[in-house]
Amino acid sequence: MTGPFLPPLLAVEGLTTIFPTRAGPARVVDDVSFHVNEGECLGVVGESGSGKSITFLSILGLVRPPGRVSAKRMIFAGKDLLALGEGERRAIRGRDIAITMQDALTALNPALTVATQITEVMLAHGRARSQEEARAAAIEMMRLVGIPAAANRLDDYPHQFSGGMRQRIMIATALACRPRLLIADEPTTALDVTIQAQVLELIAELRRELRMSVVLITHDLGVVVEQADRIMVMYAGQIVEEGACRAVIEDAAHPYTAGLLASMPSLDTLDRPIHPIRGQAPLPGPMPAQCRFFDRCEQASEACRIEVPLRPFTDGRTARCIRLKEGSHG
Amino acid sequence: MRFGKVVERFIGLIPVLLGVSVIVFLMITLTPGDPVQIMLGDARSSPEQEAALRRDMGLDRPIHERFILFIANALRGEFGLSFFHRRPVIEVIGERLPATIELTLVALILALAIAIPLGVIAAVKRNSWLDRLSTVGSLFGVSLPGFWFGILLILLFSVKLGWFPVSGRIGFSAEVRAVTGLLLIDTLLAGRLDSFWQALRHISLPALTLALPMAAVLTRVTRSSMIEVLRTDYVLFAEAKGLRKARVIGLHALKNALIPTVTVAALETGSLLGGNMIVETVFGWPGLGRLVVEAIFSRNYPLVQAAVLLYAVTYVLLNFFADILYTWLNPKVRL
Ligand SMILES: Nc1ncnc2c1ncn2[C@@H]1O[C@H](COP(=O)(O)OP(=O)(O)OP(=O)(O)O)[C@@H](O)[C@H]1O
Ligand code: SF4
Ligand SMILES: [Mg+2]
Repeated sequence: MTGPFLPPLLAVEGLTTIFPTRAGPARVVDDVSFHVNEGECLGVVGESGSGKSITFLSILGLVRPPGRVSAKRMIFAGKDLLALGEGERRAIRGRDIAITMQDALTALNPALTVATQITEVMLAHGRARSQEEARAAAIEMMRLVGIPAAANRLDDYPHQFSGGMRQRIMIATALACRPRLLIADEPTTALDVTIQAQVLELIAELRRELRMSVVLITHDLGVVVEQADRIMVMYAGQIVEEGACRAVIEDAAHPYTAGLLASMPSLDTLDRPIHPIRGQAPLPGPMPAQCRFFDRCEQASEACRIEVPLRPFTDGRTARCIRLKEGSHG
Repeated sequence: MRFGKVVERFIGLIPVLLGVSVIVFLMITLTPGDPVQIMLGDARSSPEQEAALRRDMGLDRPIHERFILFIANALRGEFGLSFFHRRPVIEVIGERLPATIELTLVALILALAIAIPLGVIAAVKRNSWLDRLSTVGSLFGVSLPGFWFGILLILLFSVKLGWFPVSGRIGFSAEVRAVTGLLLIDTLLAGRLDSFWQALRHISLPALTLALPMAAVLTRVTRSSMIEVLRTDYVLFAEAKGLRKARVIGLHALKNALIPTVTVAALETGSLLGGNMIVETVFGWPGLGRLVVEAIFSRNYPLVQAAVLLYAVTYVLLNFFADILYTWLNPKVRL
């Protein structure tokens, strides 16, 4: 873990991403601020549509028009991402910040061999000087992620691999340049349970080995509990709670986080029946000036009909709920 | 893709070709009118002469024997004598075929050279003025008849500006040996740049006339498949890898987007070989299309029969080549 005086690897302030919808502009990422420390694993959780993927695609500069991204501050490894030109942003993508896509089955190009798709990253970023060197490195990468007979399979096409193997190939591609930050977007969905565990173990191992930071995006709180140092909970485009993983899991401050925990199938520290959150997340679009969780919250009151700010309360934890009192948790 | 697979697939074409020959055979056999009468025309003839001709043409044998004979002859390139030319049909066709092939090839290359870049740019810069222009242009290209274009081009570039010849194709001059039969290649092989230039000037307008409507269709096809592909996860992932835009678009996206373009180009090329008739007539291009038009008007059955069979075989082969090209573009497709 990092000392308190080291600056974070990634620091984001006031990140907002807006998509036009028929109902009006939708702030699918709304004034999001957070940081990722060196060597740390940040877990990002929230229901489908809460803005997890778009948050990190925005940081990479990969949101397509008509989506619009703005931020007050975006610093990566001491560099101001907002001040960089398109070419400099591109140089960071894939080399310093890599992402594995949510759906591994569609993330690999069906028309290109695995060799092409892994080596091109290294060649594009000058991490290999020749085709041969890049191929050798690609084979090594494929071995690292546990693909059997890697050397023989380099010239195969994605459809010739199983789903789990394709996930590994995508991870190998993302890690080919030994990035400082890996954004793993739902690395375990669409995988069966044994492969899920293998892939997670693999990411944890690589984290130790390559000393990289990881952002782990997932629906699955169980995954976060095992892997993350800190956790960030998103709801309807906003961060609703953030803090050290253990502390948040053991004593959720926000009713939404508590609801997520209650709806988890099993968690060894807790033993209670599954209890899903009632209702549904709001559709993207303009939001009324009230707590966004209002309609679903069992503790909602008239006092919640204001724009609730994200407030620190204890031990470096923050949450977005009017019921928080200084020192009430922890 | 393995060579064995290609051979296997090629052998699979035989039943198709056989079916086509049955249809061509029946087409002529079942056409009303006695071929002997047609062949003899108005010339007075004795019954003996008629019977002799009937025997010569094998018309006195049962139909299945005639079919086998037809196939056997077709395989040897024997389609009988052209009524009009009094020469073997295959020879007459052989003389005209290279001109049509050359025209089709140049038109195809021209169409692809216009359509692929235009379709890609239109997709990448959606709703830009260039995209709108290409949409309007394609609409014109698709809806206006090809010969109308041809006449317009002749009026503007040949008659008014005098940049191109009005019609025809240069013949083989003494210095240029026919190697491929394609003048653009043969003149280059002979090192005759002046003749090459002449050949190019002659082929430009008819090829453009054929290419424009085809380019219009292919631009639309390329644009829409490119737009679809640009939305995919694998293109997003390619961008996330920090690749240059040219590589993301030109390799990752285009290789997938070209699949529908190839399909349509193969179909269009097939119909182009047939549809040549009008353009070849307008430009006085000495190709197969014009020959067939003449043959139909003069009821030159053996020639029409051979030409139809040739069209069918070409069509089948074009699709075969398109299939091979797919497997390269999309390795998931197995032959
Ligand atoms: N191109 C787009 N145009 C309009 N809205 C979009 C677009 N892309 C995403 N959205 C909206 O942004 C919101 C956030 O999407 P995002 O993919 O970040 O959710 P997520 O938290 O990753 O969900 P999941 O767990 O399902 O992956 C969603 O409501 C989605 O509908
Ligand atoms: S602010 Fe009110 S409605 Fe929102 S989470 Fe807290 S208690 Fe529930
Ligand atoms: Mg997502």
